[in-house]
Amino acid sequence: MAAGKLRYEHEEHEQRNLHKEIKVKLKDGVMRDALSRFVNEYPAARLKAYDNVVSIDRLRDDLRDMKEWTVDHIDEVADEFEASIKARGGHFFRAKDGDEVKEILLKICEQEQVRRIVKSKSMATEEIHLNQALEEKGLHVRETDLGEWMLSVAGQKPSHMVMPAIHLNREQCAGFFSEELHEDVPSDIPYMIHTARRVLREEFLSADMGITGANFGIAENGAIGLVTNEGNARLVTTMPRIHVVILGYEKLIPKVRDAAKILRLLPRNGTCQRMTSYMTMVDGPTPVIYEKDGQLVEEERKQYVILLDNGRLRAAADPKLKQVYQCVRCASCLNVCPIWTLVGGHVYGHIYSGGIGAILTGLLNNMESFSQFSDLCIGCRKCMTICPGKVPIPDLIDELRSRYVKEHGLGLPEKTAFRHILTHRKVFHTLLRMGALAQKPVESGGFIRHLPLFFAGMTKGRSLPAIAARPFRDRTEELFRENPEKPVLRAAFFSGCNMDFVFPGTGESVVKVLQDLNIEVIYPEQQSCCGKPVLGTGDRETAKIIARQNIEAFEETKADIIVSACPTCAETLEKTYVELFADDPEWSERAKAFGAKVREFTSFVAECYRQAGRLMPTAGTEKVTYHDSCHIRRGLGVYKEPRELLKAAPGVDFVEMKDCDKCCGMAGAFGVKYSEISLPMLKEKVNNIKASGADTVAVACPACLMQLRGGLDQQAPDIRVRHIADILAENIAAGHSQAESM
Amino acid sequence: MLKVCNDWPREAFTDELVSGKYWNDFSVNAKAAAAELWRVPDMLEARRKLEELIESLAVKKVVAVGGGELPALDYLYDELAKRTELYTDKFDIARQAPQADLGISVAEFGVGETGSVCVDTYAFESRVVGMLPPVHVVFLDPAYMVRDVETAFEVIEKVFKSGYMGFITGPSRTADIERVLSLGVHGPSRFIIMAVEQGLERQVH
Repeated sequence: MAAGKLRYEHEEHEQRNLHKEIKVKLKDGVMRDALSRFVNEYPAARLKAYDNVVSIDRLRDDLRDMKEWTVDHIDEVADEFEASIKARGGHFFRAKDGDEVKEILLKICEQEQVRRIVKSKSMATEEIHLNQALEEKGLHVRETDLGEWMLSVAGQKPSHMVMPAIHLNREQCAGFFSEELHEDVPSDIPYMIHTARRVLREEFLSADMGITGANFGIAENGAIGLVTNEGNARLVTTMPRIHVVILGYEKLIPKVRDAAKILRLLPRNGTCQRMTSYMTMVDGPTPVIYEKDGQLVEEERKQYVILLDNGRLRAAADPKLKQVYQCVRCASCLNVCPIWTLVGGHVYGHIYSGGIGAILTGLLNNMESFSQFSDLCIGCRKCMTICPGKVPIPDLIDELRSRYVKEHGLGLPEKTAFRHILTHRKVFHTLLRMGALAQKPVESGGFIRHLPLFFAGMTKGRSLPAIAARPFRDRTEELFRENPEKPVLRAAFFSGCNMDFVFPGTGESVVKVLQDLNIEVIYPEQQSCCGKPVLGTGDRETAKIIARQNIEAFEETKADIIVSACPTCAETLEKTYVELFADDPEWSERAKAFGAKVREFTSFVAECYRQAGRLMPTAGTEKVTYHDSCHIRRGLGVYKEPRELLKAAPGVDFVEMKDCDKCCGMAGAFGVKYSEISLPMLKEKVNNIKASGADTVAVACPACLMQLRGGLDQQAPDIRVRHIADILAENIAAGHSQAESM
Repeated sequence: MLKVCNDWPREAFTDELVSGKYWNDFSVNAKAAAAELWRVPDMLEARRKLEELIESLAVKKVVAVGGGELPALDYLYDELAKRTELYTDKFDIARQAPQADLGISVAEFGVGETGSVCVDTYAFESRVVGMLPPVHVVFLDPAYMVRDVETAFEVIEKVFKSGYMGFITGPSRTADIERVLSLGVHGPSRFIIMAVEQGLERQVH
């Protein structure tokens, strides 16, 4: 029996060695091949399914709005659903957790003399480990979705919500078939499908009870909707004399017509289909004909509906976390996640994988298991561009992480680094200068590896930049002598640690480009790290200390604008500070005033150039491509402007590369902590750059600059990586200044 | 036969929502979903096509529903029964469907956006004819089409108070092994839409 040989790779409460698990997955060639093929095909296939839709975004807004309304009225909607079920003769239960579901279900099985059960895929029952509990009581339980059935035979967990067995190849599947059926099953796909049909058909015909989940439950009439391609849900709800539905609160929708809002997106995003083969709605008890005492009888099928809480109602009442109700479990967030596509679903633990899985695990399982893999989200926000319900997945992970840290605190090394070093600018900067003196990056270990990433030891596959002998802040006096006499604006420059200590030359370029625009540039010396690395660990209290220091430092300058040529810093200063102080009236006002002045460098310069008539495309010979950093493209929504600047730069022949906006693998501390994942991402990026034929790859982000420079240095030393500020400054030095072009 | 709605055209359809003008969209999308589309002028031609199918597949056993409400279908089933075993009684269907080679039923309308047909399968027998045999033929009036899923639900919400209904879009399929598309895993591997231009005249009880 399946439960007897369950050999999950890890149990939920054990302390995991995530690096070891990741290493195993990265070495799994079968899985890597399957995932990379899928990931390559998915985006275009998805868009093709949307070809006949006027606006995907409108559909997404409709779905989100409907789900938002529902979660805000969840009690009324659940009451109406309950009343509808009961009015039609169904039995209705609410279960606060998995134990209650099992108790209810075992009682039903006993009363109804159930021996054999068929199931159609239900994540909620996997979440509460229902099958094991039923099998322990001697019940015969079979999953009927082919992938789920194979996994139950194999004793594995699904690695994807829609394609549970995507990590297996046909030979492995044939092995599980042979093992389960005690016969030699060849690795021929049609043969295996036929075998599954034969074996599972017997299960359908002999089952007393069918258990399903639901893709939606309609309050208005009590119907549940099931979306499948195999048709197993249709058989599970047709053949047995009892139907049990186990669904979570988040599946409820108010009206019949609201189902359309899910159905126009779920199949397209989930399986790139305009509709799955079967969309089935069951509303109340329906007739069933079965053999009773040797005779065929027609009766009303008994219907039991169990509405599962298990953390969902708590989430519904939470102003931030309630957004998880917008998820329709299409799993498309995984399909575009650069991490999932490398390591697969199993390393996320529990049942739900990927970014959304981290959130669901935290909400529905426990925060301990969440905390063990919550930092596997790189924060690239790619998932947010396609999620049907517009769930802000990285933000919710961030929120949960910070709550966890607030309750449990950080580990000691992080605590030391953040509390005692990052909040004391002088100590921090002295350490950075010492790093420069050592002329090589400080080895990882102890607190130092949690400092901004250029400290860490990460040499394999990429070179490390040296810390500059003279940081940017020591160069300002000289630079500012060139400030215009009658400036049109006064700009305070926020360099960020990277530009201050690793790429001070790029910082100089930023200043020169601004000065060329007749802008006076100043540099508040008291500025420090923007706080993003601290925020990434969930330590918001320390981040607030840093934020206040930075806000104060810039308030004193009375600058018109605050310019940053690091999009991560820019996003943090402009948006995150405001969110950090949402509950603090005084600092909230100050953060808003501060944030309102922040300008990301490339978009600001493009705007000035446009006004000055300097954005005219030019024809050049040097092939330049552009890598979109995650924070500039999806955090700030800036992607046209850097391209416009490059196309207008003399000598540049602009070319696009494949997956130009896919994360390069740096993402702050991630590239250090998970270098085994970061490096394959970098390698893919380098391959795409090479394939574009570019001589130069331009970036607008110093972290990407560091990552790409390191990667290209080792893998394609002829290709240059340059910050756009450097390209623009070089053109100015070459005489293409504003004065000349006017 | 038990249905969610005994007369969809009268109770759920309006000229504004339901129109044959969405046929082209429907046919493109249904074919893309691997449904076979047989458009025939009348029941006579439908019968000829079915006889051919029975012949070519060496069909021995047929389970069929819908005859009770559609006299033309009832007549057709009588004719087909001369060539093969054919069952229309619900208990007979329950007994025979697991071994049947062909199932025949009726759809209420088609959805242009997706190529789906909406099926009213409140009755047990109407579900098994569409799921257990390896081939499923569904009769459809090509004048009964809606533009998209949204309008489909505007139609559905008028009549869906209880019961069992949904969409079928092509045959049963899976891609669970190496993402290779395979048809007929649990349900039929062939799904044939018989669109009768003349319409399916209904007799409401």
